[in-house]
Amino acid sequence: MLYKIILFAPLVGALIAGLLGRRIGDMTAQFVTTGLLLLSAVLSWFAFVQVGYGGETQEINLFRWMDVGDFKANWALKIDTLTAIMLVVITTVSALVHVYSWGYMKDDPGKARFFSYLSYFTFAMLVLVTSNNVIQLFFGWEGVGVASYLLIGFWYKKPSANAAAIKAFVTNRVGDVGLALGIMAIYLIFGSVHFDEVFSQIADKKDLVVPFLGMQLGAIELIAGLLFIGAMGKSAQFILHVWLPDAMEGPTPVSALIHAATMVTAGVFLVCRAAPIYEAAPFVSGIVTIIGAFTALFAATIGLVQNDIKRVIAFSTCSQLGYMFFAAGIGAYDAAMFHLFPHAFFKALLFLCAGSVIVALHHEQDMRKMGGIYQLVPVTYILMIIGTLALTGVGIPGLGGFAGFYSKDAIIEAAYAAGAAGHNAPAVFAFWAGLAAAAMTSFYSWRLIFMTFHGKFRGDKEVLKHTHESPFNMTIPLVILAVGSVLAGVIFYDQFMLYKDTGFWGQALPEGHGKHKFPLWVLWAPVAVTFAGFVLAWSMYIRANGTEKRIAAGANGGGGIFYKFLLNKWYIDELYEATIIRGARKLGDLFWKIGDIKIIDRFGPDGFAAAALAGGKKLSKLQSGYLFHYAFVMLLGLAGIIAYVSMKAAG
Amino acid sequence: MFVEMLPAIAFYILAATAVGMAFMVIASRNPVHSVVFLIGTFLASAGLFVLMGAEFLALLLIMVYVGAVAVLFMFVVMMLDVDFVEMKQGFLQYLPIGGVVACILLAEMILVGAASLVNPGAGVKFAEDGTSNIEAIGNVLYTEYAFFFEAVGLILLLAMVGAIVLTLRKRDGVKTQNISEQIARTREGGVELVDIKPGEGIGS
Amino acid sequence: MQEFSFGQLSFLAGELVLALSVGELLLIGIFVSKYGASIVRYASIAVLLIFAFSGFILNGTGSAFNGAFISDDFSHYVKALIGVTAAITLWFSRDWLKRENLDQYEYSILMIFAVLGMGIMVSSGNLLTMYVGLEMQALALYVMAAFNRDSLRASEAGLKYFVLGALSSGMLLYGMSLIYGFTGTLSFAQIAIVLSGQESVNMGIVAGLVFMLAGLAFKISAAPFHMWTPDVYEGAPTPVTAFFAGAPKLAALALITRLITGPFGEISQSWVQVLVVLAVMSMIIGAFGALMQTNIKRLMGYSSIANMGYALVALAAGGIAGVSGMLIFMSIYLVTVVGVFAAIMQMRTRDGALEGIADLAGLSKSNLPLSLVMTALMFSLAGIPFFMGFFGKWFALTPAFEAGLTWLVVVALLASVVGAFYYLRIIKTIWFDDQAHTFVKAPRSLTLISSASALLLFPILLLPFVTAPARALIEAAAASLF
Repeated sequence: MLYKIILFAPLVGALIAGLLGRRIGDMTAQFVTTGLLLLSAVLSWFAFVQVGYGGETQEINLFRWMDVGDFKANWALKIDTLTAIMLVVITTVSALVHVYSWGYMKDDPGKARFFSYLSYFTFAMLVLVTSNNVIQLFFGWEGVGVASYLLIGFWYKKPSANAAAIKAFVTNRVGDVGLALGIMAIYLIFGSVHFDEVFSQIADKKDLVVPFLGMQLGAIELIAGLLFIGAMGKSAQFILHVWLPDAMEGPTPVSALIHAATMVTAGVFLVCRAAPIYEAAPFVSGIVTIIGAFTALFAATIGLVQNDIKRVIAFSTCSQLGYMFFAAGIGAYDAAMFHLFPHAFFKALLFLCAGSVIVALHHEQDMRKMGGIYQLVPVTYILMIIGTLALTGVGIPGLGGFAGFYSKDAIIEAAYAAGAAGHNAPAVFAFWAGLAAAAMTSFYSWRLIFMTFHGKFRGDKEVLKHTHESPFNMTIPLVILAVGSVLAGVIFYDQFMLYKDTGFWGQALPEGHGKHKFPLWVLWAPVAVTFAGFVLAWSMYIRANGTEKRIAAGANGGGGIFYKFLLNKWYIDELYEATIIRGARKLGDLFWKIGDIKIIDRFGPDGFAAAALAGGKKLSKLQSGYLFHYAFVMLLGLAGIIAYVSMKAAG
Repeated sequence: MFVEMLPAIAFYILAATAVGMAFMVIASRNPVHSVVFLIGTFLASAGLFVLMGAEFLALLLIMVYVGAVAVLFMFVVMMLDVDFVEMKQGFLQYLPIGGVVACILLAEMILVGAASLVNPGAGVKFAEDGTSNIEAIGNVLYTEYAFFFEAVGLILLLAMVGAIVLTLRKRDGVKTQNISEQIARTREGGVELVDIKPGEGIGS
Repeated sequence: MQEFSFGQLSFLAGELVLALSVGELLLIGIFVSKYGASIVRYASIAVLLIFAFSGFILNGTGSAFNGAFISDDFSHYVKALIGVTAAITLWFSRDWLKRENLDQYEYSILMIFAVLGMGIMVSSGNLLTMYVGLEMQALALYVMAAFNRDSLRASEAGLKYFVLGALSSGMLLYGMSLIYGFTGTLSFAQIAIVLSGQESVNMGIVAGLVFMLAGLAFKISAAPFHMWTPDVYEGAPTPVTAFFAGAPKLAALALITRLITGPFGEISQSWVQVLVVLAVMSMIIGAFGALMQTNIKRLMGYSSIANMGYALVALAAGGIAGVSGMLIFMSIYLVTVVGVFAAIMQMRTRDGALEGIADLAGLSKSNLPLSLVMTALMFSLAGIPFFMGFFGKWFALTPAFEAGLTWLVVVALLASVVGAFYYLRIIKTIWFDDQAHTFVKAPRSLTLISSASALLLFPILLLPFVTAPARALIEAAAASLF
């Protein structure tokens, strides 16, 4: 019952707000959706304690969905620690975002619609994480995709928002093809779509080889690879990352909820959920490690030079997801999930703070037009600093620190441990990439703080007069998230990482690697590079009005090739435009203009329609209205039928 | 010899007459002539019935078709002022193609008839000897065929209803005799006694 | 020779009720001048409903009059459908007739006569019964087609129908006389016995069968004996067309079914070819003929030609599956056409009734309920999946496919694709064109019937057809013929 309420409360809210929104009014719609989500969130924490500390895992069958031959899939709730963590993250952040949106969307005419979408998204996400089979997971996966599309394009009158929504949808489709193929492969190879049944057979199918695209591949490796393609799309990993920055066209609460805290982590969740498969697929795990590590590095480099406050955070998200993936790739699923957990809080915090700044400055997102407003928005300022400290992972080894300190260091240490264990080149690469990315994270995060809050205000002075701190309903969620960002690491580190003693994970994840002894430099290196990043940012943007100089240099076309390369996001979008998009358009034109219009339409529907119309006209002409014509046709038919039948009878 | 051939001779004469008359019905220009030829066809057919020993049917044919239907046709033709010449103008135009179809049908019917020579089928049982046509019909009409008899009676009722629906018009302002009103008329309703004062007349 | 007993009369109780009430109602109509038409109408509706359910209530199976009149599950089911459809069409014709100044009691009487004829047709076990029933039905329909005698079009429709009907009766009689000549009997049961004893089929019997089927094909307006259909559908008063489109078609189809399962069951090779030819021509002509139509009644005429083609496909498959397929198809079709005509009769402005497809333009803006109803009905007719029409076609075509008539099924599918075009065109006209007229408020009977029909066509209500009891009823009806 508890879990059913958690799952269906958002759906009820979404339906009420979506279907009755106009009738019951915006206020009621907001109230209902937010209230139901708060309920869901409170119950989730309760469930989290029950599952994580009490070890109560269970599977609840809601009802039968498909039952065709051997193909069986149910709507079910699979509750284990993995799910419980996700439940907490999703419902908590979602509830807080709902509350925050009361203030943020105050003047928007489509409030009921917005809250309905938000609640619907939450429901779909919950379906995704609670599924006990890949089919239901796919349903939730597509459900969040739809919600993401709707919410990115929420301001549907804005062309750029529509374009971004379509871009996100299409890019995700590429990943979804992988996921769908993976699901089919799972069914083909294991004869079941149920997680537990699949995992129990992995040992038997370990050496199975199947043909795929003309290659002979290990069955498990193939499945792992296909599932990872899906995960790459949803979690914006390198190659399929292009949609995430553009998704910032949506309202900021959406960015916080979907594109920072929850949906984008679905890929990480998928890899962790399918951990037994990846355990049996060392090659693909190596690829996951490399892609994750590279994305962590790559997105961080782009984040260094972006000027849009939300895009900086978006690339940061991309980078942090890279961390999670390489952690999962080296087998440290616990570390990946541990990073996911506080990351949801501090990244949501950063986004919502950014939203607060944006509202305060009348929807200005360009950091070049901000500056020096820390006195005007002190609460936001302090909270953003807390978020940044959590993100950059400030802390002192052996003593403690912010949430990111625990989780990120756990990942980097795990990478080191995997690399040190030998014969794992991807892990070694991941370790160094992680360190470098940590330095850059620190740099761009502080750059963001300095450009936004320090120095002189560079925007329109008129705007500054109306700048004010956000109302309570916006700051209170921020405070709660800040508390989470500070404490999540300290409180849960033992549970997540030392589960050998606590039994926290239960059966949800494979046996971990346990606690290692690391050399001292490994423990201190992340802290050191973080500090270095901070110092560099300070020296470049605070010392001697550095910000203004740099902006002026950028405006004059200066900055060097490397700067431009990063500013344009490694020209990946342009590369896609030149190759895939233009090529696809040419191919499409070919099929459309020649294949479709000239061949299929001409001989198919159009030709048939023309012939049918001509035939119809002839028939109408035959229907002359003259009695003797009619009688004649009858006699003619009679004579014809008799002739036909007697011919048949004759042989 | 000749006596034995008489029925055959009679059959050919009657059959030829029937076909010839039937053709003249559609070929003649004057509609009155057409009706007369139609009567001729009926008479020839009646003769064929007699040849087959169905004298009751033969008489029925003459009474109903010649006596009633053909005469009705005649009335209709003479009373309606229809320009039949104009109506028939298309006739020759359609004659060739119509003729082809008619010939095909005829050929098919001949084939069917020829097939019956090879395989005569079960055939029809005639009434036992010694019973006349009328007697035989009378035996079954109200017993075995009572249901059909009643049903056909209903069809006649239906035909009557239909004819009335399509033709009877109730017109306003037509003075008709209302017998019950006439009979119900009393002295009180019909006579008024007026005391006339002298010198004033009856004008009011 | 079967002895007559009065107990046998219970088999034709429904027909007796109709026949006796005709006399009473005629007298009421004549002598009650003011409300005569209304009294007769409601009494007729009651009588028709009694007729419809008498078979089920008495539930006697057997035959009367020496096998000339058969009462079995098949006749019960078909008569129930006929009686209910006739009662409904009579009920909703009231308003239309009143507005056109045609509200006469004879209309109801003719309807009863027609249904009586159909009842006799459905129950016939003898060539004579069949002919008498057919003529009674046809004569009533001729008069009904011309009921609006002041309208030139209606008179023309009635006359055309009458003359061509007489021609088809001639063909039927000719065929019957051939059959009688070659078998020596009128009774269906005897014919079957005679034919089963023969080694090869006599050409005369085949020709007789073709003539008979041609005469019956005229009644169900199967091509090439369909020529009257568009003209009569268009010319006859709309409630009459509504009646024409449903019950008489089913009655004639039931008669064909009786012929091909009973007396000629043994020589299926002779009639399958005929039915296939009729089906193919009907489907093609029905589908293509409708494309250019602008009058919705005329369009429905072509639509009924095509639909009779589908029903014949099911019959051509033969067997219990084929017959029950035809019955399911026709049951759904009757529900649909009654609804469609109830909807068409709602097309009325202050200036009078409208019949053009273009008059429906923009209906969705002025009359949303009617638009929804019309859309559902058209979707069903087009056979869009999950409307009942789809399942009707499904059940009609599956037996043929299983009987190996694959190419016939392919033709049927192509025809229904073409057919879908003009049904969808109506929907397009309703929803996407500029508004042409605002219709006056329709009487409750029409809105009720059309909405009920549209609702019945939603698939959730299909369940009774898939499971018990209606499906069982149909299966039993079909099985009772074999």
